[in-house]
Amino acid sequence: MNMNGENRFAIPIRFNGIAGMLLKFIIYMVFISICLIVFIPLISVLITSFKTFVEMGYSSSLSLPSTFNLENYKTVLEEGHILIAFKNSLILVAASVLINTLVSSTAAYCITRFDFRYKKIVMALFILGMMVPHYTTEIARFSIIRDMGLYNTLLGPIVLYAAADLMQIYIFKQFMDKIPRSLDESAMIDGASYMGIFWKIIFPLIIPASATLAIIKAVIVINDMYIPYLYMPGIKNLTLTTMLMFFNDAQQGSWNVLSAAIVIVMVPTVIVYVIFQKYIFSGITAGANKG
Amino acid sequence: MNSILRQKQLTLICFLFLPTALMLMFVAYPSLKLIQQSFTDWNGVSKSFNYIGLANYYEIFTNAPEVWISLKNNFVYMFMHLASVPVAIFIAVLLSSKIKGSQFFKLTVFLPYILNGVAVAYLFSYFFSPVGGTFNGLLELFHLESLIQGWLSDERIVNFTLAFVSVWRFTGFHIVLYVAGILSIPSDLYEAAELDGAGFLQKIRYITIPGIWTVIQITVFLHLNGTLQTFDIPFVMTNGGPAGASSTFSLYSIQMAFQYNQMGMASAMGVILLIMIIGIIFLQNKLMDRKG
Repeated sequence: MNMNGENRFAIPIRFNGIAGMLLKFIIYMVFISICLIVFIPLISVLITSFKTFVEMGYSSSLSLPSTFNLENYKTVLEEGHILIAFKNSLILVAASVLINTLVSSTAAYCITRFDFRYKKIVMALFILGMMVPHYTTEIARFSIIRDMGLYNTLLGPIVLYAAADLMQIYIFKQFMDKIPRSLDESAMIDGASYMGIFWKIIFPLIIPASATLAIIKAVIVINDMYIPYLYMPGIKNLTLTTMLMFFNDAQQGSWNVLSAAIVIVMVPTVIVYVIFQKYIFSGITAGANKG
Repeated sequence: MNSILRQKQLTLICFLFLPTALMLMFVAYPSLKLIQQSFTDWNGVSKSFNYIGLANYYEIFTNAPEVWISLKNNFVYMFMHLASVPVAIFIAVLLSSKIKGSQFFKLTVFLPYILNGVAVAYLFSYFFSPVGGTFNGLLELFHLESLIQGWLSDERIVNFTLAFVSVWRFTGFHIVLYVAGILSIPSDLYEAAELDGAGFLQKIRYITIPGIWTVIQITVFLHLNGTLQTFDIPFVMTNGGPAGASSTFSLYSIQMAFQYNQMGMASAMGVILLIMIIGIIFLQNKLMDRKG
């Protein structure tokens, strides 16, 4: 990390003298409070997931389990359709991220590099896509999906997730605007077509942005509830999210078993997050630096 | 020259066909359909329906108190989310100082946003549950038993509990956006202000806030738009209960459509929601656009 580069932009807060010490103390108190607010609910579920039903009855939800009991996880793995859910969520993520990246990057290329007759209409469509409350248009989308024969198949959600949204096009546009047009022009002189320019010059340069957007999209798709809930009610089409809802209905009141299921469902995105944090933050930063 | 023009057209067609087709099919067409259905008495199942003019809208405005109770609940979320904005900016300011460990805290702050929303909802059902719930346990630990409430069963409190969960889930995302904005302000501006004798709060007021004004505008829009459409959290945690006290506009319209089979009424609610969102965008542009 470039220390100097970062320094140029940080708010100068001085930490010398008694006032500085006090300020530092306040800052850490705020940070620690944030950690408590974020982690206490998570830790209480993690702890409970190791307890037996009996132990849960007499111990507080923040006291450590007496034994490291894995029974609850075993129950979830045996009864929860976890493998199906994992597989379906993976397929949904892979397919929608792939299509979505293509669709939104090519759309952003057309919008940043060309002027054309229906540009305003195309832009208006994407803006509409951001404004329309999708929970309510779901009623009409539902009949389209059913008429296409995609109801209760993985393809239904995939086509719904594939549509580009304004946010993505906007972030791609930010990146593409920074690529000098002289690069396009010199490639053109060398005989490259517009599509060639996109694939050989633009796309390789926007891969960092694609990575960020792909990760964010992946998290959104894995965590989405309503689309799989509405369009894929069948057990063979459960995703991690709907699996959890299905499992909850079957386990009324056994918080220890449900806690294990909650932990299992949360783990994949946490792993993705910790591994790819750099990309997530850099992409969001690029999106926010509009000035 | 002509071949370049043809090539451009070919590229546009190839690259824009799929995104435009998807938008037309899954956004534009459903929106038109929504408007059309809002003038009918369609029940969502049968093949036939009648056009009944503005009857659905009339019904909503005169004879459907549940709709307005639900909308009032959306305002609880809106209030809590907007109240979180200054706090989030404050935290973002602290996070963008180069203090030891701020990277870890940034990671922590953003964590709730990436967690599975349904898992978070169940987690907080447990956290606030009356029997063995963590929150009541904490209150007992600090001898604050008198504060124990039916967090999810008392109709005066439930919406605030749910809105808290919503704030818990989404604030980190906004904080990270603010941090990104703050880190794009060159620090010579602060130094110049310092020479003019500006204190810490003045620097925040006159440099940081104007510097991230665009980001603030975006986040305020996200809060307003998001809280008008709140659905997941009440759907999973209370399903609108007790007795409809924690329903939201979206939740009630979905119940109208799929439980009570009143597709026409549900569509009219959808149109009203769309109009409210457009209204908010318009108002916000008027109120917040400093560039005129």
